[in-house]
Amino acid sequence: MAIKTILCIEDDRFIGEMYVRSLKKAGYDVDWVVDGNDGLVTARNKPYDLMLLDVMLPERRGTEILDALKGGAEDLIPHTKVIVLTNFEQDDASRIAMQKHADAYLIKAEITPKRLIEVIHQLDTL
Amino acid sequence: MAITKMPKQIRDYVPSFHRHVLGLALVCNVIASLCLAGLLLSMGTFTADSTTLWMIVGAVFVIGAGGATLAVHLAIQPTKDLLSALIHVAGEPTLTPPPNPNNHKYAGSGLQAALQTIYELASHEEGQSSLTAATPPLTDTAKIMAAALDATTCGFVVLGTDRSILYSNKVAPVKTDQNGKATLQLLFNGSDTLDAWLDECEEQAVHNEHIWTRIADRLPEEEGRRLFDVIVSYQKGTISETVITLVDRTATYSVNEEELDFIAFAAHELRGPITVIRGYLDVLEDELADVLKDDQHELFRRLTVSANRLSGYINNILNTSRYDRRHLSVHLSEESVADVYATIRDDMELRASSQNRLLSVNIPTDLPTIAADHASLSEVFGNLIDNAIKYSNEGGAINVTADVKGDFVEVSVEDHGIGMPGNVVSNLFQKFYRSHRSRETVAGTGIGLYISKAIVESHGGTISVRSEEGRGSTFTVSLPIYATVADKLRAGDNSNEGLIEHGDGWIKNHSMYRG
Repeated sequence: MAIKTILCIEDDRFIGEMYVRSLKKAGYDVDWVVDGNDGLVTARNKPYDLMLLDVMLPERRGTEILDALKGGAEDLIPHTKVIVLTNFEQDDASRIAMQKHADAYLIKAEITPKRLIEVIHQLDTL
Repeated sequence: MAITKMPKQIRDYVPSFHRHVLGLALVCNVIASLCLAGLLLSMGTFTADSTTLWMIVGAVFVIGAGGATLAVHLAIQPTKDLLSALIHVAGEPTLTPPPNPNNHKYAGSGLQAALQTIYELASHEEGQSSLTAATPPLTDTAKIMAAALDATTCGFVVLGTDRSILYSNKVAPVKTDQNGKATLQLLFNGSDTLDAWLDECEEQAVHNEHIWTRIADRLPEEEGRRLFDVIVSYQKGTISETVITLVDRTATYSVNEEELDFIAFAAHELRGPITVIRGYLDVLEDELADVLKDDQHELFRRLTVSANRLSGYINNILNTSRYDRRHLSVHLSEESVADVYATIRDDMELRASSQNRLLSVNIPTDLPTIAADHASLSEVFGNLIDNAIKYSNEGGAINVTADVKGDFVEVSVEDHGIGMPGNVVSNLFQKFYRSHRSRETVAGTGIGLYISKAIVESHGGTISVRSEEGRGSTFTVSLPIYATVADKLRAGDNSNEGLIEHGDGWIKNHSMYRG
């Protein structure tokens, strides 16, 4: 299943715009929300192929969103792949907990939009 | 009149003996005078009320007493001198100077020899144990010292020649196990341990001293954690071969701990803008590819290289702050050197080409896999290549190669740059160490190699350097082949615990936090 639709949950305007711009140029269909509550609601309402998830978000942390969607008995977004994108230095336990439910865990400062698109292509081939 | 009580100290003996003998002489004199009076009376020469009689008896008494006192004084003098010498030798406090055997009054008499014998015996004794001029006798001194040392806030530990703990005071961080074996509880940084230093001392030092700062006795989260400056003195072959003084600096350093937290926080904040700078540089260079002129492409590359380096330095700072707080841990999994390098290849090639260095990387694809933390190890390679670029000349060649050596894969980064003299090499992996010359000519923080060493050692590997001044340097990182450590890793849930033998297991439950 090729990735086509992407939900970007990112509160930093510059970073959000940068990802959205590049992903749209690369032909993806991108929705962008800036706070955690909206992110959770949007993710549940529409089946995206991929979710880009920040950790330090207003209203609701990325960890909580991931836990609410995938941490329960039932995976609420079974068809959505997840890339955690953060600059935050998480403690080990939370990081490992997130990695369990995510397909990739990346440091934003290390990832340019071009690299991000490469990673998405990689996920496609999995 | 007998001496009924033994004096407690040598110096008490002479006065009391003197008094007793003098008393005895005087009593004898009184008796003799009275006898003389009785004799003169019985002979009828004088009557009891005759002044002349009492004047004679009195004169005899005075002369007798004077003579006796003088005789006693003279007779006791040799004893006094001998005892005075003994008092000095025994270390009792005294105001009288020790008798000098070379004094003319002893000359020729046996007393000179006697005094010399006492001093000689004492000097032999001194060579074996330390009978110095201590105030009370030794047993009391030991008690006083022990009480005093227990009352200080400094820790004192004495190690014998076999490095067992001979003495430790109350506050010293020493733990005794069930078998009664005492061990020092100190968490040294990486391989810079007390044991390693003592190994070195045993081989090449007679007397040596070393200071470690900010050494903790337990992990950051544990109760009652203390931070010490550790001063160690080594004196080969003495009964107290190693003396460790621990200055409790918890109050000062715990403030710094918060500062380190601040560093981690600040570094995290810096990453936000860097994300945008790196991202848009990447985007813009693509989008403007057709519009930009050649030299403008070069300007873009320089911007990208600078942003990438900044990002690398921030990671170094973050990792160093973690490492210094014993938070640095790595999660090892099966990786190939080629894959690890691949993640930094573009960046490194760009850095090299924008600074006119010829970077040639030759990593065979058929090398065995290694146990590595991908991100951390790529930072190590990045640091080494970055240094090679920094410390080489325009147009210089930098060769990265990899090979198998026993149970390890060796990755070497070789440059043909300015190189280093031997004294620089030995300090190279210390934090903030920068050689005098490099401080003048090349910018840098001096933590790149420090943290690289820490990361490589957390992998159970080693890092070394060969350098020749003016000819260049070769840094070699040696990492365990995955197959040789796979069992240990599985047992330890992919943490490096089983691999790190010198770390006292402190890495357990702590990790290098990656964002």
